[in-house]
Amino acid sequence: MSDVYVIGADLIKFGRYPDRTPAQLAAEATLLALDDAGLSIRDIEAIYAASVFNAASMIGQQVLKQIGQTGIPCVNVSNACASGATAFREAFIGIKSGLYEVALAVGAEKNPTGMLPAGKTLGPPPEGLFGSGTMPAVFAEAGNAHSAAYGTTMEQFAKVAVKNHHHATMNPKAMYRKETPLNEVMASEMIARPLTKLMCSANVDGAAAAVLVSERKARQLGLARAVRVRGSALVSDPWETRNPVMFDANSVTRLAVAKAYEMAGLGPQDLDLVELHDCFATAELLHYENLGLCGEGEAGALIDSGDTTLGGRIPVNVSGGLLSKGHPIGATGVANIVEIVQHLRGEAGERQVAGARIGLAHVLGFGAAAGIHIFEKA
Amino acid sequence: METKTVLLPRPAHDCVRIADGVAWIGGFRCSDCGAVTADQTLACRRCASRTPLQPFRASERGRVYTWSVVERSYPGVAVPFFSVIVDLSDGLTLKGTLRDVDIDAAPAGMPVSLVFDDAGGARDASGAPFVGFHFVPRAETANE
Repeated sequence: MSDVYVIGADLIKFGRYPDRTPAQLAAEATLLALDDAGLSIRDIEAIYAASVFNAASMIGQQVLKQIGQTGIPCVNVSNACASGATAFREAFIGIKSGLYEVALAVGAEKNPTGMLPAGKTLGPPPEGLFGSGTMPAVFAEAGNAHSAAYGTTMEQFAKVAVKNHHHATMNPKAMYRKETPLNEVMASEMIARPLTKLMCSANVDGAAAAVLVSERKARQLGLARAVRVRGSALVSDPWETRNPVMFDANSVTRLAVAKAYEMAGLGPQDLDLVELHDCFATAELLHYENLGLCGEGEAGALIDSGDTTLGGRIPVNVSGGLLSKGHPIGATGVANIVEIVQHLRGEAGERQVAGARIGLAHVLGFGAAAGIHIFEKA
Repeated sequence: METKTVLLPRPAHDCVRIADGVAWIGGFRCSDCGAVTADQTLACRRCASRTPLQPFRASERGRVYTWSVVERSYPGVAVPFFSVIVDLSDGLTLKGTLRDVDIDAAPAGMPVSLVFDDAGGARDASGAPFVGFHFVPRAETANE
């Protein structure tokens, strides 16, 4: 089977676009990725389009109506926060199978503002009566479980926000580009202990796209800026005793990364950078251990060491992450991949991870799904 | 002579059962692998056995596995409050609100009891009351 390469990848600046539709944002990201690849929409044989809130309105076909109705198949994907990685993986499968030479993965979202609403129930609204179903509370509970087991402190969780906001100052596509010192993170509005507002991801609009091609096509177009997909995994949450009463971010990520490392023939020691799903500051520390970046219980020490900051041993979320670059839900999984591609090409500018050859992108969907891709410079 | 309709209480939570004038917590257990779940699934979600899950009356004692103090919630919800994940002593896990604990405490591992309540005084469209629950701390007994 052919290897699969990314030859075009880009995203729009994350922010608020009140006057644009999700499909327009997706179309803009698509054109950026096509330009990056030096291709036209006429070269694309299939589109895999991710949008949690717009998959049902056929966002892929809407993209074609914006940039050219070439008649190619569109698969519209909604898979919670793993939607983007799901679309990318489906494009990967389409090429790996030999059915297509060139495919596009695009993700776009216009997030609702504020706290995402709770679902309807037959009884009284459960919030406050039966604990909390808000996402900050869910990830606060996950973080406090880590604290109870290993003594992880609020300050260690807060350092994740300090780091990722710092990284975002070097990313012109990030929503927030402002340093947030530790005392500011700790003192910002408390949402769900230990998570303050600056430790919660930024609800923004955004879109990202990637062009995937077969090895034959990549060689034909030139490998100079091509990035090879070494591993691809998409999994759903396996049985865990407390799940789904308590959302389990860990086992689903561990299942995915084991499969991705196996396919790639690589391990955590081989990675030069990681973009992981920091929907909340607590999640980033959990995923250090889930992805094998450190041993069990060592995540607090890893953030303290500075090794996951740009310039450290294994930089994490140099894009600014979901915390500061922003988290347009359906776009996030593609945007994380775009970031890895830019570093492996040596085109990440001020925030470039020096000499990066291998990178990993991870996303986690509530419900649950985890998607992981590992890339290597061609 | 007028006979008013008697409005029987309804469960405010999927795990609350009401019969013969009392409320209890119901769970389901797989008779093949022993997995415990809060809901009745078509097959066991752990081992996929199609042997029907066995309903059981759950213990009303357990321990806090993890927690958060929620300080901002949906509009209209009173804060702060403790949201806790409680492992009941016979395998069922529930999410609930913990009351009667200092809001600055860190209750991981705390022994708790489940207490039934009126779900904040809520009524359904016909005016029927609800039965809900919350957790309170309990003294630890020697054999735990």
